[in-house]
Amino acid sequence: MGSRRYDSRTTIFSPEGRLYQVEYALEAISHAGTSIGVLSNEGIVLAAEKKVTSKLLEKDSSEKMYVLNDQCVTAVAGLNSDAGILVNTARVYAQQYLARYNEPVPIEVLVHRLCDIKQGYTQYGGLRPFGVSFIYAGYDDRYGFQLYTSNPSGNYSGWKATSVGANNSAAQTLLKQDYKEDISLKEAKELVLKVLSKTMDSTTLTKGKIELATVSKKNGKIVTKIWKPSEIDALLKETGIVKEENEENEEIN
Amino acid sequence: MDIILGIKLNDSVLIATSKAVTRGISVLKASDDKTRNLGDHSAMAFTGESGDTVQFAEYVQANLKLFSVRQNYELSPKAMASFVRKELATSIRSRKPFQVNVLIGGCDINKETPETSLYWIDYLGTNVELPYAAHGYAAFYALSLLDRHYKPDLNEEEGIKLLQLCNKELSTRMPIDFKGLRVKVINSQGVKEYDDLTAL
Amino acid sequence: MSDPSSINGGAAVAMVGKDCVAIACDLRLGNQSLGVANNFEKIFNYDHTFLALTGLASDVTTLSEVFRLKTNLYKMREERSIEPETFANLVSSTLYQKRFGPYFIGPLVAGINSLTGKPFVCGFDLIGCIDYAKDFVVSGTATDQLYGMCESLYEPGLGPDDLFETISQAFLSAVDRDALSGWGAVVYVITKDKVTKRLLKTRQD
Repeated sequence: MGSRRYDSRTTIFSPEGRLYQVEYALEAISHAGTSIGVLSNEGIVLAAEKKVTSKLLEKDSSEKMYVLNDQCVTAVAGLNSDAGILVNTARVYAQQYLARYNEPVPIEVLVHRLCDIKQGYTQYGGLRPFGVSFIYAGYDDRYGFQLYTSNPSGNYSGWKATSVGANNSAAQTLLKQDYKEDISLKEAKELVLKVLSKTMDSTTLTKGKIELATVSKKNGKIVTKIWKPSEIDALLKETGIVKEENEENEEIN
Repeated sequence: MDIILGIKLNDSVLIATSKAVTRGISVLKASDDKTRNLGDHSAMAFTGESGDTVQFAEYVQANLKLFSVRQNYELSPKAMASFVRKELATSIRSRKPFQVNVLIGGCDINKETPETSLYWIDYLGTNVELPYAAHGYAAFYALSLLDRHYKPDLNEEEGIKLLQLCNKELSTRMPIDFKGLRVKVINSQGVKEYDDLTAL
Repeated sequence: MSDPSSINGGAAVAMVGKDCVAIACDLRLGNQSLGVANNFEKIFNYDHTFLALTGLASDVTTLSEVFRLKTNLYKMREERSIEPETFANLVSSTLYQKRFGPYFIGPLVAGINSLTGKPFVCGFDLIGCIDYAKDFVVSGTATDQLYGMCESLYEPGLGPDDLFETISQAFLSAVDRDALSGWGAVVYVITKDKVTKRLLKTRQD
């Protein structure tokens, strides 16, 4: 393999001008469970596929959705252990910003900060880059509801609807097809579930296989919420995406 | 003996500062400016140890400018006041603290209706939002006048009248000539500067 | 005269009732004898746990921000709000970290444990020694007056309304005898599922 000479350190460009370690990190993410985000002017929905590995696994805890502060949540695709470090960094940074300025951190400032950290690991040698992409959903007074993604290279971008992880190009196509400018929060939830159901390995959506988070406005206050399995179950039934007969089988799983 | 005053009005904030620089028995300058703009819609007036004052004011001014260049967005007056407070609160426990008292007047234009505010911050890092404020000896004379005549819905013209009232009292009661008051008016349009209160 | 804990003035008290607690503070912020602000609240809440901070106003603000940071991170990590007893220990260890250059404050903690329903109040010295109390705790420049008033007016087992009356009368009488406290007051009455905040009118001198 021609790449051998250039991928042992993160700092070295290959003759073709590529950073292999960064590309491998991106590759790792493209095998991770899909995460999707959809922006509406009433709020944002994040959804992620949970790769259930064993029926013996305790599955009540959320593994891909994290609250970063009172107005921002994030969905992870990639190495969960790496994500934990960055999530903690983000939480501490958000709180330090709040303590310093007595104002919640603007979403882009927070995303920018995390990307600076990610970028650092693509340049300063000896360590591998963070193997995670994030979708951030948040609200601030400057730009209202916002949706961003970031990847191991330290690039970030803002979106109306986006996806990261396995099958993300398929998901992206579906989102492009079905996204409307004036989508409501309810429609955004439905869209997210629909896209997820089509891109996931298994054909049926169940509460055990997906995670859901929302950022919305209630009585003028921003509410971030990571959904409980029972609430996801209720939503699945309400939207009619899941069929009753499948329920029993999935419960055992 | 420096004078700095601030009054919050219905849609603007006034900041008035004395123009004299004194050292010992001498008046060294009669056209001093004891204010710095912290952004397009906020200004800070300062008094205290000479040397510390300008050094500190320009330090926070530069840091807030750096923030706005980096993030392409200007902090609200409240956030600026919090930042300045924290700098002073950290400084007070350092080997050589900044001995600076400040007033910050600003207009938050990112609110649905622009919101004016005035912050009183002392060298210890005490920060309070007030309708009218003053530091130093001037506070004893000016605050009692303001307690009597202040109303929250004063317009710019009435605010200037009130400042002139304060100026008259201070000229009578302060033991040295403070060489008049320089005025800054901050509203949603930005910061306007006047060289002398009496010319208004 | 230049004692940091009495430059700005201010007072606070917390009391235990039957299945309820109450906590009160004044609104004055001064510079020695000069009153500067009459809107300086000294009670902060971190969900159902209440903290009163008297003393040097700069440190009051700093600490309220430090505890906001710590409780917010705690909440995200634990996925639950901090309980009063836990918070008291957080206050204690945070203050002791500055053992040889302390914050000049007198904190009080009050709240009802959301799991056991037990009322809880405690006070601290400036380096974090916890003073657990089953009746009341006081703090600030009117400490002496508050002890006197609380000792004579307090009785155990009061309901929320009676507790409000007791704490208010005790507090108002105490701050009226302190030149550095007053200029308005706030009282919080906390029961398991309700918090009432009341502003008290006080003498303005």
